[in-house]
Amino acid sequence: MLSGRTPLGWLQLTHSTSRFVVASAGVGFAVMLVFMQLGFMNMLFDATVTIHKKFFADLVVMSGSAKGIVPDSGSFSRRRLVQAAGVDGVAGFAEVYIGTLSWTKPSDGTVGQIVVFGVPTDQRVFNDPDLDAKMPSLRVLNSFLVDEGSRGDFTTFFGKIKAGDQPTVKLGGQTATAVGTFKFGASFGTEAIAIVSTETFLHLVPTRPAGVINMGLITVSPGVDAQGLADTITAVMGPTEVKVWTMSGFIGLTRDILRVESPIAIVFSFGVIVGLFVGAVIVVQILSSDVQDHLSEYATFKAIGFSNRFLLGIVLEQSAILTLAGYFPALLISLGLYRVVGAAVSMSMSMTFDRIALVFGLTAVMCAVAGSIAMRRIYSADPAEVF
Amino acid sequence: MPDLLPVPAIVLTHLEHWYGEDSLKRPVLRDLNLTVEAGKTTFLMGPSGCGKTTLLTLIGALRSVMAGSVVVLGQELKGASEAVMVQSRRRAGFVFQHHNLHRSLTVLQNVRMGLEVRGESGRADTRERCMEVLEAVGLAEHADKRQDQISGGQKQRAAVARALVGRPELLLADEPTAALDSKTGRDVMELMQRLAAERRMTVLMVTHDNRILDIADRIVEMEDGRILPSGQAHSGPNRISEKA
Ligand SMILES: Nc1ncnc2c1ncn2[C@@H]1O[C@H](COP(=O)(O)OP(=O)(O)OP(=O)(O)O)[C@@H](O)[C@H]1O
Ligand SMILES: [Mg+2]
Repeated sequence: MLSGRTPLGWLQLTHSTSRFVVASAGVGFAVMLVFMQLGFMNMLFDATVTIHKKFFADLVVMSGSAKGIVPDSGSFSRRRLVQAAGVDGVAGFAEVYIGTLSWTKPSDGTVGQIVVFGVPTDQRVFNDPDLDAKMPSLRVLNSFLVDEGSRGDFTTFFGKIKAGDQPTVKLGGQTATAVGTFKFGASFGTEAIAIVSTETFLHLVPTRPAGVINMGLITVSPGVDAQGLADTITAVMGPTEVKVWTMSGFIGLTRDILRVESPIAIVFSFGVIVGLFVGAVIVVQILSSDVQDHLSEYATFKAIGFSNRFLLGIVLEQSAILTLAGYFPALLISLGLYRVVGAAVSMSMSMTFDRIALVFGLTAVMCAVAGSIAMRRIYSADPAEVF
Repeated sequence: MPDLLPVPAIVLTHLEHWYGEDSLKRPVLRDLNLTVEAGKTTFLMGPSGCGKTTLLTLIGALRSVMAGSVVVLGQELKGASEAVMVQSRRRAGFVFQHHNLHRSLTVLQNVRMGLEVRGESGRADTRERCMEVLEAVGLAEHADKRQDQISGGQKQRAAVARALVGRPELLLADEPTAALDSKTGRDVMELMQRLAAERRMTVLMVTHDNRILDIADRIVEMEDGRILPSGQAHSGPNRISEKA
């Protein structure tokens, strides 16, 4: 039966090319809205974990209440890290102090907040080899590196640093020297980031006792399973205020916390729903006016013996066609927009296969639901009215 | 088999039909009885509003039977389910007053729908069968045109082709030539009659056109929801000679 089926849905939809183009564009617009909402949402999630990826570590030790690599992530004793690092399979470890200080912004001289990481200068702490190479320059007390992604117009300040001028600013009430820059990429929630040596950190934050740290980084010996080692360390340490995660596990945890605790997911999910709703309304409009236009033809089909099911099939076929004709062009355009937007805000807006599949599914459901609303009129086609 | 009893294609007994409910209820068919012989062409005539179209829609299973009995090709339609109604429609061919061709389809595709409805459109000889009927109605060279590219008479002939392509046992037509000029109307009518005769189909046709009555084997006259007894008593050609 199927092989002999006349593709009525297709023929009716494409009978007027301009109407078909408008219909597909309507669906495509909705699909694009959905892709952009999901893109923005994931870009925000990604942005909060970009910093995680900067650290050279397989495992992270943090306070059990930590919600990410943030200043208020809780502190713990360095002894805990040393204890964890004593387990077989650990190749190396490093301690990290994190704090927030006020500083005089070199852009306009006003006072702002800056997140300061205190790290050892004789160990590999960062993935980026360029940044790693700059670490020895921090051995001079009260010298710091500043993030080029810091918010504000720092062009002249960065220009001076690059020229080797070593400009000074007020940092935590003391005079500190900027000896270089690094790039963590724009992120949300932090205005500015600085990196200093452990000694400078303790000097700038006199209230912080030495040995009360915020994060421990552990590297794993070659051939050792990171997750397995994390479990072993957890078991060895017994009940304690700190927790051990693999870096990828901690990235996942940070994203999950953000998804649950921030309104980001709700805001963008709402955007997705609005997009789908707009798309559905457009498709209902298009398909019901097509049904309306063909009511007498449908009545004739019923009169010569076609069932309601056959006619409903025409509308479903149209839903499927609109899904395909709207989705694929919108996917291509969205991929282009991801690049443009990503470049504009210097963050990566990446497309995942999961999202491609998810949005395709959502589009198909949207069109099918719209189709089943539009097809209700078919029952009103009365074969007795044809004569 | 010369002395075989005539087989009835349609048997209507005590058929009643009305439109509206309660105080608005208007009877249209009253205690109507009629038997239509298989393989013959029967014309149904009568004044406007006497219920001819209503009768045809009941026989064609396009409307539910309210009271009485309608047996078409052996199938009782009183109380028939939607599925039985749909099945019944497939056994009949319909030609309407308007061609009712689908505007997004070509003539050939429209005709093909007549096979598709019977699930016969997937076969290898589908195109051949469609072209054969189109040839018969003289539309072979217009097969790939849309309905807005052909004339009124050609459209009605395409509709006849759609009705006949599935080789139905019964052809129901309601003033199929009303929208055509008399010459074209006559052509379409003769064509229908010839094709129906070749296929030994039962034809029941509503018409107002006095000029084509010679085509009928029998003429049935209706008035005010009933069949006139005289109409049942005489065969077509006799009545025409009476009238003339
Ligand atoms: N759907 C309907 N609802 C209500 N009344 C109807 C309906 N269809 C027909 N009627 C009425 O029923 C009566 C019979 O109508 P019908 O169409 O069967 O007559 P007809 O013999 O075919 O007339 P004509 O020769 O003008 O086509 C008419 O009075 C008509 O107004
Ligand atoms: Mg009528």
